Amino acid sequence: MIKEERYSGTNIPLKIYGLSEKSLTVTFGTSIDNDLLDLITGFNQLLLENPFSGLITTVPAYTTLTVFYDPLTVKLSDLPGENCFEKVSEHLNKIAAIIIEKSNVIAHHLVIPVCYGGNFGQDLLTVAKTNNLTETEVIDIHTAGQYTVFMIGFVPGFAYMGGMDNRLSTPRKELPAAKIPAGSVGIAGNQTGIYPMETPGGWQIIGQTPLKMFDVNRKQPSLLKSGDRVSFKAVDQEEFNAMLKQEYENHYH
Amino acid sequence: MKITIIKPGLLSTVQDMGRYRYLSQAVPVSGAMDELAHRLANKAVGNDDHCATIEFTYADASFKAETSILISYSGDGAFLVYQGELMPAEKPLFFSAGSVIKLISNPIGARTYLAVAGGWNVPDVMESKSTYLTAGFGGYKGRALQKADVLVGGPNLNEISNKILKQLVERSLIYPNWCISRNSLLPVKKREIRVVLANEICWFDATSILSFLTNAYTVNLRSNRMGYQLTGKPLVRKVTKELLSTAVTPGTIQVTGSGDLVMLMADCQTTGGYPRIAQVAAVDLPLCAQLKPGDTIEFAEISRDEAEELYLEREHDLLLITKVINLKYTQI
Repeated sequence: MIKEERYSGTNIPLKIYGLSEKSLTVTFGTSIDNDLLDLITGFNQLLLENPFSGLITTVPAYTTLTVFYDPLTVKLSDLPGENCFEKVSEHLNKIAAIIIEKSNVIAHHLVIPVCYGGNFGQDLLTVAKTNNLTETEVIDIHTAGQYTVFMIGFVPGFAYMGGMDNRLSTPRKELPAAKIPAGSVGIAGNQTGIYPMETPGGWQIIGQTPLKMFDVNRKQPSLLKSGDRVSFKAVDQEEFNAMLKQEYENHYH
Repeated sequence: MKITIIKPGLLSTVQDMGRYRYLSQAVPVSGAMDELAHRLANKAVGNDDHCATIEFTYADASFKAETSILISYSGDGAFLVYQGELMPAEKPLFFSAGSVIKLISNPIGARTYLAVAGGWNVPDVMESKSTYLTAGFGGYKGRALQKADVLVGGPNLNEISNKILKQLVERSLIYPNWCISRNSLLPVKKREIRVVLANEICWFDATSILSFLTNAYTVNLRSNRMGYQLTGKPLVRKVTKELLSTAVTPGTIQVTGSGDLVMLMADCQTTGGYPRIAQVAAVDLPLCAQLKPGDTIEFAEISRDEAEELYLEREHDLLLITKVINLKYTQI
């Protein structure tokens, strides 16, 4: 299901601000676009392959990468700088210098099966009506696109995906639903996303995937990560049930 | 070592130092709200700081020792009481099987941490024993403790815990004559929260920034482990553009569309899209963890460098405490 694609990134000077004693944020740009995201993804991969002493984890978002570290370890490291902020910044700038030479980013591409409409996607008609389309047209447009995971946020494993065809753009619900089932695929504005677990939510639900989007027993609990490319494949209820059974068996056996 | 929960209290969960390595998958840090009290409770029984404790919210809880137990507590939400007598905090406490221990209200704060020698033994989920209630994982079966839950400590005690235990048993004592002084680690002004101004500070008008640093804010009822809503003079923005969601962390103070403040706490989301006015100094987050609805706080600005210095100082003090306890018991 996973194939690899290569994207190229470009270098820009690093703008860094402190978030807390244990974290700082690098700002790569100001607006959402795939090139910027690939740059952040590439920078993140390079940093994780070349960590500084005391690095704990990183959090990519739309235009930023936040780096978490252990100040005690960083302070004792031989990186130049008066304090942890300067020491970590120094390392990140070195990474930025390498990225000019090594500008290729590996993005994963995943195909997510979705059973559209009916009980699985109660707002499919709303999305169709809002955009003067038929339900079938909505499904066709949604499955024809390629999406980019810009950020994992909100709840564990929730992927915010951009790149959706404008013809499907639909505002959030005025009143959020109290319970959205796990696996629900939704639309909010120009983004699409998948609810990994049952939560309240305001996105327009057009279908449901049988895949477990978040599973604490996996090495990478979240199926998707920032920078991934995603496309959707329509499946019928029978296929959905078979896949759901398969996911259940993978999980419990 | 084993206890049964007789009365769980308002919200009691198993917590440790948090789950830091899965933030990019939107898994919150969680962990003890008052990390300092959590760590001191652990230190008092000879544990590593990372051992799991039980976080009690307020009092009105009780438990029974099913075996003899070596425990300790720290925090401002409750006092431990045994046979009508107040038990001292930040000290190892030994109770024999059958003892019933109650938590009675401490009006000062909100949260109290109960450590057991060897740590509370619950499964690791994503490298942490912390409970994250929203997604129902971690801690004790992914949920808050309930009546009749059985919690087990250990199984293995380290050398220091064993020596503390042996000394108390041999001398038939409930507790020794030493304790850790939590107060000496905390600032005198417990309602003045030190903050570092945040990245979007220039999005607010000068009057609002001044107002943030001079007015009092009250913790309102819509406050929980995810964050506190603060009531006070609303802030006015001069830059009204949208902030694209970016990483936030416990202690981040966001300003909502209506100008109200939200202080993010242990279970907060990993990213947020509200502009941030300030970040609570890590050393003062334990003070915030003890706030109750109705409590009033003020903010005092410090520099990023000062915040880091204070953090490193606190960490060195904590290392020293462990060294002193270890030294005390290696001489026995």
